[in-house]
Amino acid sequence: MAAHRKSLKHVTGRGLVYAVLIVSALLMALPFYWMVSSALKMEPFIFASPPQWLPDPLIWDNFIAVFTRIPFPRYLLNSVLVAVIVTVSHVFFDTLAGYAFAKFRFPGRDTIFFLLLLGLMVPFQVNLIPIYKIMSSLGWVDSYMGLIAPQLTSVFGIFLMRQFMRSIPDELLDAARIDGCNELGVFFRVVAPLALPGIATLIIFTFMGVWNDFLWPRLILSSNELYTLPLGLAQMQMRNTSNWGEVMAGTTVTALPMVIVFLLMQRQFISGMTEGAVKA
Amino acid sequence: MSSLSVPAFIRGIRKHGLAYLFIAVPVLAAIIFLLIPMVTSFWWSFNEYNGIQPPRFVGLDNYVKLITGDKIFRHALKNTTFFVFFGMLIGPTLGLLTALLLNQKVRFQALFRTAYFLPVMTSLVVVATIWRMLYNRNGLLNIGLAALGLKPIGWLSDPQWAMMSIVIASVWQGFGFEMVIFLAALQNIPKELYDAAAIDGADGRRKFWYITLPALRPVLFFVYVIGIIESYQVFDQVFVMTSGGPVYSTTTLVYYLYSRFIDLRLGYASAIAYVLFIILIIFSLIQWRFFMEKD
Repeated sequence: MAAHRKSLKHVTGRGLVYAVLIVSALLMALPFYWMVSSALKMEPFIFASPPQWLPDPLIWDNFIAVFTRIPFPRYLLNSVLVAVIVTVSHVFFDTLAGYAFAKFRFPGRDTIFFLLLLGLMVPFQVNLIPIYKIMSSLGWVDSYMGLIAPQLTSVFGIFLMRQFMRSIPDELLDAARIDGCNELGVFFRVVAPLALPGIATLIIFTFMGVWNDFLWPRLILSSNELYTLPLGLAQMQMRNTSNWGEVMAGTTVTALPMVIVFLLMQRQFISGMTEGAVKA
Repeated sequence: MSSLSVPAFIRGIRKHGLAYLFIAVPVLAAIIFLLIPMVTSFWWSFNEYNGIQPPRFVGLDNYVKLITGDKIFRHALKNTTFFVFFGMLIGPTLGLLTALLLNQKVRFQALFRTAYFLPVMTSLVVVATIWRMLYNRNGLLNIGLAALGLKPIGWLSDPQWAMMSIVIASVWQGFGFEMVIFLAALQNIPKELYDAAAIDGADGRRKFWYITLPALRPVLFFVYVIGIIESYQVFDQVFVMTSGGPVYSTTTLVYYLYSRFIDLRLGYASAIAYVLFIILIIFSLIQWRFFMEKD
């Protein structure tokens, strides 16, 4: 009898867990659903009461407008270009520097590393205005160069890579050297493959950061044709707040690439994000 | 490095050339984009500077004005603190609760995790835009309130509500990150600890207080440090949803810094940036002490 009651309690407990999980998952998804469905609605129905749960009639005009009248393809191209260049540059420079700080002994190593870490503590907003002045004296305001140049390497990336490289045993590197590998060979054949999970984490953080970045692009860019997706989306709202269908189509287009990348590489994303936190 | 003689330094370069080559570009970039700007803006914060005429030294004037005479700055400080406090109160709690639920060997765990995590992947501009529509006077939320027989709320137009509305949208965006980290940490706790506690007759609540929570402490530290530092820099949502209004009720520190920058009051903006920096340092120190003492 007691056992029976216990299992009954257990079953209702499980049911409650699932109920809470399902309801909250639906609540989490609702804003996304509302974004897409509003983008497919005719303007007068977007704020209809009672709400129109399924678009009727379902129209594609808003997406067509976003791809023709508003230069979203251009924004998308800019976003991809900037994110790819910055990410490749991070992988190259941060990995090499992280390796040097982790595995080489050279005069000034610890002093230089300490100074870099000092820089890491400073919030970006503190450096914003002087960086802007540097860009303006180089004539790079409102250009790809101005947008990209200040973010080609990062202290955070170097720090991350150094932590990963330190766990690679020195004996492995020495063995490769004895086998006749030169230093570049040691790096590319031994170190880089072993540091791959770290590199994946670096790629994810960098790509996401650049893709979603807003404050710096907002300051440095003023020409519409250089805008990245978040900038284009913000700009669009300042121009026409009346046409919510188009704004939501633009929002969908802005959100979609990252969502697709995430769904395809979910495991890497989540392990990449938790790696640093749980290990540290 | 200063203790080295010049010939030794040159010999060093030759011997360690590869290492210096590897760090050359990032170190140069850090000097140009981190160290020099950090010192420059510190200097500017003691100047009146509009970016065109040369800076004019005014001593502590900018700071004195900020702290004693600037009502908007006081709003910004209050609003940002409100955002950090409620965001950090709700976000990690929600993240921990969902992680605990998901950790109970539920089916479709990956699917639920995806649902909670997806907003983390979307940019704040996207999130702010969606919620601006939900918060519309005739939007879904007010329709929902009407269905419950409640009066509509001016989510973004009522100064009493606007900052809280930004908190809600931001928590929706961010707590999945905390959840994923808590979940990974929960799965790292050795099962034997719980088995041993069960033998000693501990119930669920005791297991949580004496095993789970202590095991999560390093991760809690990480989540709060990162969370507070990031929250103090809130900008994108404010820019898109309210532009700092109504009547400065959502002007945050970075938004205020931004608008002073736009007005070309660069010295003043630099002072705001340094106040922000000092706040972040104080928080980091407090957290450091709080979490290290107990270890």
